[in-house]
Amino acid sequence: MTAPDRPVTILIAALGGDGGGVLSDWIVEAAHHAGLPAQATQIPGVAQRTGATTYYVEVLPLHRGQLAGRTPVLALNPAMGEVDVLLASELVEAGRMVFNGWVTPDRTTLISSSHRVFAIGERAAMGDGRFDVGRLLRAVRERSKAQILFDMDQAAEEAGSVLNAVLLGALAGSRRLPIPDASFEFAIRAAGKSVEANLAGFAFGRAHACGELEQTVRLHQKRQAEARGVEDLLERGRRSFPAGAQPVIEEGIRRLAGYQDRGYAELYLDRLDRVWGSEKDAGGDGALLGETARHLAVRMSFEDVIRVAQVKTGADRLARVRTEVRAREGEPLVITEHFKPGIEEICALLPPTLARRVLAWAERKGRLGKWYWSMHVRTTTVSGFTRLWLLSRLRWWRPRTFRFAGEQAQIERWLDQIQRAAPLSLTLAREIAECARLIKGYGDTHKRGLGNFARIEAAVIAPALAGTMTPSVAVDATASARVAALADPEGESLARALGEIARHTQEMPRAAE
Amino acid sequence: MFDQPLAARTNPERSFAEEVRSLRLGAGEVFRGEGVLAVTKALLQSGVAYVGGYQGAPMSHLVDVLVEAQDLLDELGVHLETCTNEAAAAALLGASINYPIRGCVTWKSIVGTNVAADALSNLASPGVVGGALIVVGEDYGEGASIIQERAHAYALKSSVWLMDPRPNLQTIVRCVEKGFELSEASNTPVMVELRIRACHVTGEFVAKDNVAPPISRNQRLADPAPHNYDRISHPPSTYVQEKLKVEVRLPAAQRFIVEQGLNELLPGERDDLGIIVQGGIANVLLRGLDRLGLADTFGAVKVPTLVLNVTHPLAPDQIADFCKGKRAVLVVEEGSPDYLEQAIGALLRKRDIGTRLHGKDVLPMAGEYTAEVMTVGLLKFFGQSANDMDLSKPAQALEAARAGRAEAQRLIGAPLPLRPPGFCTGCPERPVFSAIKLLEREVGKVHISSDIGCHSFATLAPFHLGNSILGYGMSLAAAGAVAPVMQKRTISVMGDGGFWHNGLLSGVSSAMFNRGDRVLVVMQNGYTSATGAQFLPSSAGNRRDGRNTSDIAATLRAMGVRWLRTIRTYNVATMLRTLREAMTTNEPGLKVIVADGECQLARQRRIRPQQAAALKRGERVVRTRYGVDDAVCTGDHSCIRLSGCPSLTIKPSPDPLRDDPVAQVINSCVGCGLCGEVADAAVLCPSFYKAEIVQNPAWRDRLLARVRSGVIGWLQGRSRDTATVA
Repeated sequence: MTAPDRPVTILIAALGGDGGGVLSDWIVEAAHHAGLPAQATQIPGVAQRTGATTYYVEVLPLHRGQLAGRTPVLALNPAMGEVDVLLASELVEAGRMVFNGWVTPDRTTLISSSHRVFAIGERAAMGDGRFDVGRLLRAVRERSKAQILFDMDQAAEEAGSVLNAVLLGALAGSRRLPIPDASFEFAIRAAGKSVEANLAGFAFGRAHACGELEQTVRLHQKRQAEARGVEDLLERGRRSFPAGAQPVIEEGIRRLAGYQDRGYAELYLDRLDRVWGSEKDAGGDGALLGETARHLAVRMSFEDVIRVAQVKTGADRLARVRTEVRAREGEPLVITEHFKPGIEEICALLPPTLARRVLAWAERKGRLGKWYWSMHVRTTTVSGFTRLWLLSRLRWWRPRTFRFAGEQAQIERWLDQIQRAAPLSLTLAREIAECARLIKGYGDTHKRGLGNFARIEAAVIAPALAGTMTPSVAVDATASARVAALADPEGESLARALGEIARHTQEMPRAAE
Repeated sequence: MFDQPLAARTNPERSFAEEVRSLRLGAGEVFRGEGVLAVTKALLQSGVAYVGGYQGAPMSHLVDVLVEAQDLLDELGVHLETCTNEAAAAALLGASINYPIRGCVTWKSIVGTNVAADALSNLASPGVVGGALIVVGEDYGEGASIIQERAHAYALKSSVWLMDPRPNLQTIVRCVEKGFELSEASNTPVMVELRIRACHVTGEFVAKDNVAPPISRNQRLADPAPHNYDRISHPPSTYVQEKLKVEVRLPAAQRFIVEQGLNELLPGERDDLGIIVQGGIANVLLRGLDRLGLADTFGAVKVPTLVLNVTHPLAPDQIADFCKGKRAVLVVEEGSPDYLEQAIGALLRKRDIGTRLHGKDVLPMAGEYTAEVMTVGLLKFFGQSANDMDLSKPAQALEAARAGRAEAQRLIGAPLPLRPPGFCTGCPERPVFSAIKLLEREVGKVHISSDIGCHSFATLAPFHLGNSILGYGMSLAAAGAVAPVMQKRTISVMGDGGFWHNGLLSGVSSAMFNRGDRVLVVMQNGYTSATGAQFLPSSAGNRRDGRNTSDIAATLRAMGVRWLRTIRTYNVATMLRTLREAMTTNEPGLKVIVADGECQLARQRRIRPQQAAALKRGERVVRTRYGVDDAVCTGDHSCIRLSGCPSLTIKPSPDPLRDDPVAQVINSCVGCGLCGEVADAAVLCPSFYKAEIVQNPAWRDRLLARVRSGVIGWLQGRSRDTATVA
């Protein structure tokens, strides 16, 4: 605790519109109730609209009766090295305060929710743009004196309350302020809004901070595909491949059996046999196999209309949606799906010769990318569900479609590149395998992914396999091109990266010569 | 839009009922609250007869609170004018030119002062007989949303006095009360500037009774003031007025400032040194001195300090007396240019006072004086001027803290993701920018002239749309010389707030007059939303009588606009089609799209209590929200790049074979439907679904649901028998 005539300083980091002002009002009111001078201020401005913002509070731990007529001069700005308590409603915001130097290991008790609210840059990334939480947690722990960190978002939900009430409770429980719990509770009551819920959140936060309560951490569950009648294939996988790659391969077998049929899962294993053969010859330990198995399963279960229909009519889907939208027992739910197939999606289902003819016609007439059929299907009605259900039953037809033929050809080409790269460099082969992650999505997204893959193939993979680019250069080039391809949807970064690679390889004397 | 009684029609973003109660406190009662509210109470205690203003952070709440305090204002006879721009507010003060009535206007500065400048000059020249106060929120430093300039310049050039009170409620209230007196004693309007943190600072003061003004709405004058040409800012009066400013009013003000002790002299033992500080940043200075061991928590200082609660005019004798005999004086003055330092320097030189003057040599010329900046400046000042002081400990503490920050940044390793402000969940303006993004896919990049308002968030992630912002309501005018040199038409985006503030005249009339071939999108969301959802002329239901006032489309038609479309914003496909037409039509002249959709924040605040009440009554209520099928989403996030809605976020993929997070709609979704519309208009993917949850279902709902789930379950059973499902 600071000296009695030194204010206890509290910095609050919050997201605009999340009630940081209410939290700071509660603290001031509680201090007043406890007879302590306090002052708060804030800089809301436009940050009220979802931006990051801060509030700053000072509480003098000296009862009004002991002031002897003097008025303390309390600061309106936090100072580096002089923050006693940091309250943060979200982990990156706590990290931001650490980054800005407000949190110091000699003084600051850091009280923060450990959950993430992803920033726009993280959400909008084409792949995985999430900030490295591990680094953040380490910095948060090392740079503060004490920490109270738990998922207050979850706590608020469990307590039927709001996050800032939990945060206030954690502040009370930290015992860093000479304010009794009763004063905090008084402040909540005095504010007069959602009193019971806020008191519940406060109690939870306080108990957690005092160590009287443990939170059950919700773990993220991956969903495994279900399949029956493939036990022998799973056994074949276990026999043929190294242990490290097995979980992925088993998932792949189950998924492809469900996606298509047993035979398709067998094709998967046959393909993996080839890759593992090449890797073994090159002295690999199964790392290439594992990576390829993962991407191959995803590529083979490409997203066509039939698969979407399968998912949307799946047995567990309705229950999943009900949980997600928090529909209560006995509340009927109507689900409307948004579909908008175009000529290409329709052609994807036709036999290749017919599809090619239709596409050529559409191209000639300028209809490609122009004609779409907007469909809003209600899958909770009998007619809507039946339409999708019938579509999902078209699995038997899938191998005869234009899309299927195209996908298999591309997969074969990609596997062939991996196999040819393996003897040159296993790392290069893995990089090529990893490029499969560029191909995903539907419509334009899928086309863009294929295009990016093709550009990398032409600029890096082909020269490397032809021996005109050394494997080590090709490894770096593939990795950087892949990152660039996921940097912006317009492809500007990829163009720059490939340009640089071209310049670089021209300058370098060819290793073979 | 409104089905509430007039009395309940308050600010849709928040209620100020509690604040209004504080305004009624009587003599001896303790007022507790924020700086802005203290100003409001001080106005009523001073017998103000009229108040006006234009909203903007950090001053919005002054007028907002008074809007809800209409009963109190009626009792006192105070007239409240919710002005449509700052020029109108400043012109309101014209009442005090001829009549001995006190008035106060308020706005966000510097921008509001710029808009008000013409009226301010014409007010300051004849001067006032009734106290005229201008309370400006100095939107400067961290948290500011505008260009960084000082209101001080206006005080200097127009001869308006400027108060910059210490940021505690007692001083703020005293400055408001004394401000009226100063204004009357010197026949000059007085500006009171409050920085962001001062506007929101909490505190307390002992209240006085409110004073009903002697001349007011309730006590009307029988006759107008007699005609007096001296009171008119027209030649030859203006020549006399200019002289009066410096020969009569200035000395009167300087006398009043000294006599009333408006500035505070804090004595200290180090007589050889001194600090002159703007009142508004006195707390930063005092804590800085405390850090150096030169002050205590209660503001007692070791170095004599002159706190200027009035920063214009300076009282020359007061400054000279303070500086005389000192080796060095530091002027702590935030922002650029260094008006105070220059004035004090000139004064010392003219009076031949040898005190060394420091200021912007040890403190930065530009930027907010934060605790760190202040500490560095003070260490430099004392290092140069008082080498007998041992400041090694605070200097080391500063270095250690800086090293610690560097270490923290090294540990975190990369810049943290930025969290700029953005459109709220379900905002009706977002779909317009989704449509513009889609338009650009077809026609290429377009020059976008942006404006002030929530829609300026489109200049940030994920839209990155907008080439310039020239001020409030200026977007159409700002494209005037861009459009003629562009092959493609330009698009100006303007809010309804900007439209009524300035856009109609500066933009529309000028574009019509000059036959400008441009596209204008007016966001009609019903309020000035960025400033806290205040009403404007086209809001449904005037706050006074509930009747609609002005209609944007009708106004545009009256102005002669021929190509005019009103489109509901959430319909992205229609919006896209309309934009395409506006960009390509052969119709000459201005093309206006009124993008219509009520501010979602206001709408939610309006309908949530209604829905809660309906649910409680057991009525059937359908709750709509959107969702993403996580097994269909492949994690490309195109949908997010075209939306940025806070409720459309990401979560780890449920697929054991995929790393990229998938899109997810969280429970804050208000069901505006944009994600579905965008997925449809942009042909993204079939992941999105709309979920309608029937609460308090009728027997028909329940029966239908049972039949449907029966049939669907039977079909699903057949699927399971024949195959396995991913």
